[in-house]
Amino acid sequence: MKSWLKGLVYGDDIVGALVIFLALLILFFSLMTPHFWSSNNFYAIIGNIPAMAIVCLGLMYVVLIGDLDLSLGSILGFTAILAVFFFKVMHFPLWLNLISCVFVGGLFGALNGVIVTKIGINSIITTLGTMAIIRGLAFWIATDVEAMQIGRITDPSFLNFARYYFPEESRLIPITLVYIALLYGVSFLFLNHTSFGRKIYAVGANEATARLAGINVKRVKLVCYIIAGMLSAFGGLVLVAQLGLGEAQTGQNMILEVVTAVVLGGVLLTGGKGRLTGVLVAVLILKIMLLIQVSS
Amino acid sequence: MKSIGIKLSTTSSLFIFLGFLIAVFSITSEHFLSPYNITSLLTNISYSGIAAIVLTLIIISRGLDISIGGVIGLTTVVVATLYSQNDPLPTWLILIIGLGTGAIVGFINGWCITALDMDPIITTLGAMAITRGLAYVISDSQSILMFEETTDFISNGVFFNIPIPIILFMLTALICGVVLHKSKFGRSIYAIGANEVSASLSGISVNKTKMILYVFTGMAASISGIILLGQTSVGMPQHGIGAELEVITAVLLGGTALSGGKGTIYGTIAGVLILGVLFNGLTISGVRYVHLQIFQGLLLLVAVATYEIKTRNEVAR
Repeated sequence: MKSWLKGLVYGDDIVGALVIFLALLILFFSLMTPHFWSSNNFYAIIGNIPAMAIVCLGLMYVVLIGDLDLSLGSILGFTAILAVFFFKVMHFPLWLNLISCVFVGGLFGALNGVIVTKIGINSIITTLGTMAIIRGLAFWIATDVEAMQIGRITDPSFLNFARYYFPEESRLIPITLVYIALLYGVSFLFLNHTSFGRKIYAVGANEATARLAGINVKRVKLVCYIIAGMLSAFGGLVLVAQLGLGEAQTGQNMILEVVTAVVLGGVLLTGGKGRLTGVLVAVLILKIMLLIQVSS
Repeated sequence: MKSIGIKLSTTSSLFIFLGFLIAVFSITSEHFLSPYNITSLLTNISYSGIAAIVLTLIIISRGLDISIGGVIGLTTVVVATLYSQNDPLPTWLILIIGLGTGAIVGFINGWCITALDMDPIITTLGAMAITRGLAYVISDSQSILMFEETTDFISNGVFFNIPIPIILFMLTALICGVVLHKSKFGRSIYAIGANEVSASLSGISVNKTKMILYVFTGMAASISGIILLGQTSVGMPQHGIGAELEVITAVLLGGTALSGGKGTIYGTIAGVLILGVLFNGLTISGVRYVHLQIFQGLLLLVAVATYEIKTRNEVAR
């Protein structure tokens, strides 16, 4: 019995400890603040989670290979502007908007990946540079295209991308929850049950060994950066639809919070180790703590 | 093809590039070479230059500090808050506390990196978040006005017609240059950056050296913060956002290698001047701020990529 508890707290697997911490946190705050379980507060917590959880998932791919991507917040911000641009100026239908935005996010990810793998610049310096470049591009579009100066979107056909509920009348399951479940579920299968997913862990654990074992290390890294970019773009789109607003500043201070969540979730910064459940629980912990700060 | 007879060092090619930039901008804008613009250019670069000079030492020792922007913001808030109390402390004490703020942050960074063996980037990324957060907490997210003679003199005063920030910048460069290039301590910084294990085996106390460097970087960031506070007459938690990008770009542009053991103070001075001239010249030629940000990111990547490829060719040869 004791050893079970010890294993949970000190053990290799941090997820159990995180779940206990989350439970204690919820218990503590539901006793301390009477409004914790009120539906308003509850929806405020839920509403803050999706974009963050999705970007965290993206960053996790990069951290798993032992790198760091600081440009994800800028990619999210650029997507927010791009989504409004596609919607207002190009009049894209939602599906085309989604595909184009995710494609552009993937392109930015590929840019990071190519610089890191082909030129060999340290990932943090690379993404510090692209962070500034991409944010600058977002501000450029936002200030120079006249239709973009007010990034407000009120068309429900777009907003339902993140505001829809299943079933529609009883508002039981928000569609964003479905996105999170799908993306984390697919990532779980991809990381743990495909050979490419195992290669990601192998590259992160020891790059030299992975190369000697015949893994194309550069390709694995490149794919991780592309996935991170695509997921950040998706997160940006979700955020725009939730807020009904796309601005160039969107996600400007996000990356610190995202790195914190991924590290708190037990993903090793040196790479090769980390679990999806840990990241998800860490996102919940961070968001609940931040919200309590506000409400109390 | 016959190769060109003169082989340029990195630093001299940087200064040639700087001369080229100055020539271009003096043609594109008639105001570029006016005394007023030159003074304001040099005053502006002093603020990030001081931090860049000291950061050079850390990067040569194979470390990194990205908490500089956070420390700048925190220092302006601490100093302005202390001054705006009903019964304020004497100004010299407040300024020492301001410098101490950076020193304490640097000490904590150094302690985490040496004693706990944490990664410098992660440690200082955390410090960046904590210092910025503290600045928001202390100032209650407000801007705090501060009109005071001493800070005003530090930022806007002149000594023999030379603005004080420029003097501070030159002093920092001189001291760090002598320490890095002429002293035993400087040699040990290069040794640590080149190979920490062999440096430690040859009797250099690695942890002590690193600790000193991080404390001094924190203090340099605080000096930058105090200059910024005097220039703007306001302490606010948003001060220094993005400063780390500017400072790191200047250092890496100057030819200091992230992999440690390589770099000079002259290079960093050239990097700081190039960044300053480029931004000043582009601004008075009518380029907007959003585009400058793109330039800055591109410059960082191009500079690092150039050195990376150059180093690889040298190794391959």
